[in-house]
Amino acid sequence: MLSIENITKIYHQGMITEMKLFDRFSLTVGDGQFVSVVGSNGSGKTSLLNIICGSIPIESGDVKLDGRSIARIKDYKRYATMGRVYQNPALGTCPNMTMLENMSLADNKGKPFGLSRGVNKKKIDVYREQLAALGLGLEDKLHVKMGNLSGGQRQAVALLMATMTPLRFLILDEHTAALDPKTAEIIMELTDKVVREKGLTAIMVTHNLRYAVEYGNRLLMLNRGKIVMDLEGEEKQKASIDSIMEVFNRISIE
Amino acid sequence: MIDLIISTVTQGLIYSLISFGVYITYTILDFPDLSVDGSFPLGAAVTAVLLTKGVNPFLTLPIALGCGALAGLCTGFIHVKLHVRDLLSAIITMTALFSINLQIAGSNLPVGRATDTIFTAAPTMAVLGSLSLLMRKLIVSLIIIVIVKIVLDLYLKTKSGLLLRAVGDNRTLVTSLGRNAGNVKIRGLAIANALVALSGCIVCHEQRSFSATMGTGQVVFALATVIIGISLFKRLSFVKGTTAVVAGSVVYKACIQVAIHIGLPANLLKLVTAVLFLLVLVLSNHKGEEIIRA
Amino acid sequence: MKKRMIARVMAGIMAATMMVTGVGCGKKNDGSRKYQIGISQYGEHGSLDNCREGFLAGLEKAGLKKGVDYEVDYQNAGFDDAIATQIGQSFSANDVDMMVAIATPSATACYAAAEDKDIPVVFTAITDPKAAGLTDGNVTGTSDKLPVEAQMDLIRKMQPEAEKIGIIYTTSEQNSVSAIAEYKEKAGDYGFTIAAIGVTQQSEVTQAVDTLLSEQVDCFSNLTDNNVVGVLASILEKTNEAGVPVYGSEVEQVKLGCVAAAGIDYYQLGIQTGEMAAKILKGEASCDDIPYETISEYGIYINSTAISELNITVPAEITDKAIETAE
Repeated sequence: MLSIENITKIYHQGMITEMKLFDRFSLTVGDGQFVSVVGSNGSGKTSLLNIICGSIPIESGDVKLDGRSIARIKDYKRYATMGRVYQNPALGTCPNMTMLENMSLADNKGKPFGLSRGVNKKKIDVYREQLAALGLGLEDKLHVKMGNLSGGQRQAVALLMATMTPLRFLILDEHTAALDPKTAEIIMELTDKVVREKGLTAIMVTHNLRYAVEYGNRLLMLNRGKIVMDLEGEEKQKASIDSIMEVFNRISIE
Repeated sequence: MIDLIISTVTQGLIYSLISFGVYITYTILDFPDLSVDGSFPLGAAVTAVLLTKGVNPFLTLPIALGCGALAGLCTGFIHVKLHVRDLLSAIITMTALFSINLQIAGSNLPVGRATDTIFTAAPTMAVLGSLSLLMRKLIVSLIIIVIVKIVLDLYLKTKSGLLLRAVGDNRTLVTSLGRNAGNVKIRGLAIANALVALSGCIVCHEQRSFSATMGTGQVVFALATVIIGISLFKRLSFVKGTTAVVAGSVVYKACIQVAIHIGLPANLLKLVTAVLFLLVLVLSNHKGEEIIRA
Repeated sequence: MKKRMIARVMAGIMAATMMVTGVGCGKKNDGSRKYQIGISQYGEHGSLDNCREGFLAGLEKAGLKKGVDYEVDYQNAGFDDAIATQIGQSFSANDVDMMVAIATPSATACYAAAEDKDIPVVFTAITDPKAAGLTDGNVTGTSDKLPVEAQMDLIRKMQPEAEKIGIIYTTSEQNSVSAIAEYKEKAGDYGFTIAAIGVTQQSEVTQAVDTLLSEQVDCFSNLTDNNVVGVLASILEKTNEAGVPVYGSEVEQVKLGCVAAAGIDYYQLGIQTGEMAAKILKGEASCDDIPYETISEYGIYINSTAISELNITVPAEITDKAIETAE
């Protein structure tokens, strides 16, 4: 269980552009939840993810994972049990390394990066199967450099890599926003499949209200650092794009 | 004639160790490590002092490696832990090394002919004693460079090596893998500068001297050889990056030798280098960016 | 297609190397053969150029004619040690009869290239050949060590009352450090004390001038220290205001406004070197027979304009042999 307790986040502190984004903000995400987060620009969606991952500091409050504070733990240590897929497909893989090398790196997460062979030849078939399961024909491109693949293909591999090793949390940071609609659809379906199959706890920030409605089992809407909508269970299932759009439009005009 | 080819190739080989270092920092780590101009003479300074003190010449090789690694560690520490920009942290180390090198060696320090170097010591003479000094220099250098190249190639294929390549390629991914990207960078800088100092060490054996000015312009030289090597040879898929870099270094030294023989004034040599650069870049028809990050 | 292009370029470069390097290699062994002399100069610089020209004049003086008795392959390294190395190696590979090296890095490179060959190396413009390791083997030449005693003798004659000489030097320049040591060692013989301040970079020099002026030095004496000579104009501004004379170490400094100098004449040094080289070439002597020499001819240079501004009376014995540099 992830709990965010009374956090305060101020940007440009002490300057004329000072902006208090979160003021004693709290949120709890239970195990097995797949939370979609929506909200207009500047509502604090991405900041929320960055605070969970430790990419940006907070002024006060606490972030706890399974009851233990992680607020003072460095970002790379937090990632030991978290996976993240970024909006920019380039951030999830190494463009100048082959797909095989990329997957070998991801497969070794949590283990020491010592002087043993980087690519375990015995695992190639396993990787090939995993790639085949994506249904994008990537299983034949193990020796192709990531940079030569399309954005959608890279994002699919990034998703696969982020979830290769056991995880407590999957962070999806507008991970379909940079893709064309058809590819975005494929990636979204893949995401749903992976989260279900592995029983992951996930937080997904998205601008696509339809995804927010169709996928996941909890829906949050943020506005100016506050939760203005939090739907779970039946409420979430009953929610329609129109009903959410209505709220969204209302707060956007304010 | 043959002699000249041998000595030119030898120079290319010895200096290719600097190119290995720059290949790691610039091409793999994407780090503008100017401290090369300081860690190269560092290797020579340490070697000159040790040789004049009568230390076993072969022992100077690992010691120079260690000293170079330390210099790289400093650059990395200043950059990663003290949050100084990459270029500046390298300049700080380079500046400091200038004084440190003089502290180590006093001033320009010659190694007398009575002192054994790796090219004249008993183990070398036992195997290669029947050959001329010129040939011994070539063979000993070749052996060292081949060993370093193989070890480096093997290392880049290990898990640690993959991570090193990843940190220059996509730092975010390394963090996502739960690793401290800064530490990986420091490790890369240490390896690179160790190799650069090893080059200085061998140059000191070969030239029998350390001079405070010997490092000037080495980073530019190495950058040139890396780019020449990669753009000339990388398209042949069976040629590894490290091999291409060695070849680039030899081609560079050969061009200088040609320029000397044509009687080109030294002041024009830099222009020749620039034209050579351009020629290689145009012929290989790459975008500059691609070549550098290839 | 492109690979072929690259292959062609590579082949071209290699062919060019072979053609070019093939030319002029090997000795001519008939009776009328000319001596092949390789001159390796560290970089283009007034003093070093003078050395080279003097050297050729020295050969001439010893009866060797260019084009008839000897041929010269002149190379300069553009102040790049690695290029100096390659120049030495090309001389060695071409089996020249003699390598002439001007300045330390070139001498070191030639000496290393000649390690297992019997090619004599003759150097010049090296302050301390012993410290540079150039005293063992088939090597000799001339040193451009400052004539420290002559300089103190000059100062004593121009300023009979003076007691304290101020000197600024760069701590990392070995030449300067050894010159300071000599000044301190011999100052007593001429009735002087030396106030020396070491600097690490050029920007510290003017501060050092202020310090020495406050210590009431009677005059300044310069070395061939690049950091100090580089800001000589601003030093002179301060010292002239304080009425303290500055003595230079070579003619160029006197032209700039130093009162006088017992300085090296690099052309003369070159001649001396050329004469040594001629003996070795002709087989009259080997490097072992001729240890390296220091300058036997140094010039006294004065600047009357600067002298008159500081109200110094120059004794006749100086004016008689001094060379006037004021315009």
